[in-house]
Amino acid sequence: MDENIKLKMMLPKIPDIELVAIEGMDRMARHMGIPDEKISEAHVLVTEAVINAFEHSGQKNPLVQVEFTMTLEKLTIFVRDFGKGFKLEDIEDPDIDKKLGSPHKRGWGLKLMESMSDDFKVDSNEKGTKITIIKNLQ
Amino acid sequence: MEADFKLTSELHADVLVINTSGYVNNEGGEKIAEEFDKHFENGVKKVIINLEKSKVVNSIGISFLIEIIDKLTEEDGKLIFTNLESAIDKMLTIMGLFNYAGKEATVESALKTFNT
Repeated sequence: MDENIKLKMMLPKIPDIELVAIEGMDRMARHMGIPDEKISEAHVLVTEAVINAFEHSGQKNPLVQVEFTMTLEKLTIFVRDFGKGFKLEDIEDPDIDKKLGSPHKRGWGLKLMESMSDDFKVDSNEKGTKITIIKNLQ
Repeated sequence: MEADFKLTSELHADVLVINTSGYVNNEGGEKIAEEFDKHFENGVKKVIINLEKSKVVNSIGISFLIEIIDKLTEEDGKLIFTNLESAIDKMLTIMGLFNYAGKEATVESALKTFNT
């Protein structure tokens, strides 16, 4: 089957809005007959990508664009914010040994997205940040 | 998908069990940390966090749990996670939490670990 379905949404910054994106993705997976256990890791990817986009957009009333493209073989998650961007080289790789005893315990989003995906790309500049994540479903 | 976060807690002798349901986001993580603090101030150093009914967590929520590990480690205490959904298990593994906290399949097996 080469069915390919897409879902595109623009999310405002309201509490737990990332769950709306997850609900949409789950509904696509059910339509495609993809079992829950194949999609559960994508829950983490979507959650981290969306909260990261809102946190780092640097805007007063940010919007985050989310697009899912799903086939039986793979899921592509595209998340874009329209903020000030960041330099990947400025982001420190989080380390639990350093987090313990430190007041700064956050900053895990990029590491989780990179580690739990099958492909991960970040394109960031002063007009915003685009994150593309591939998750194999087979 | 249940968004609303709730927790219950119970003491089994000197072991605190915190049962969560719903999304462990920043507010959920903060509530867990507050519940832990109430008991930690009274000397509780053995803690079980049962995530059976929490199917979605985020790293901000988990950062509050790192704070709990921090406090317990300083006092020779221990945290054990139970009933982890596989994606959450993988997430906590990547974050390195199991270098400092335990995991068990059930609350009962975690209680046994503390009592042996």
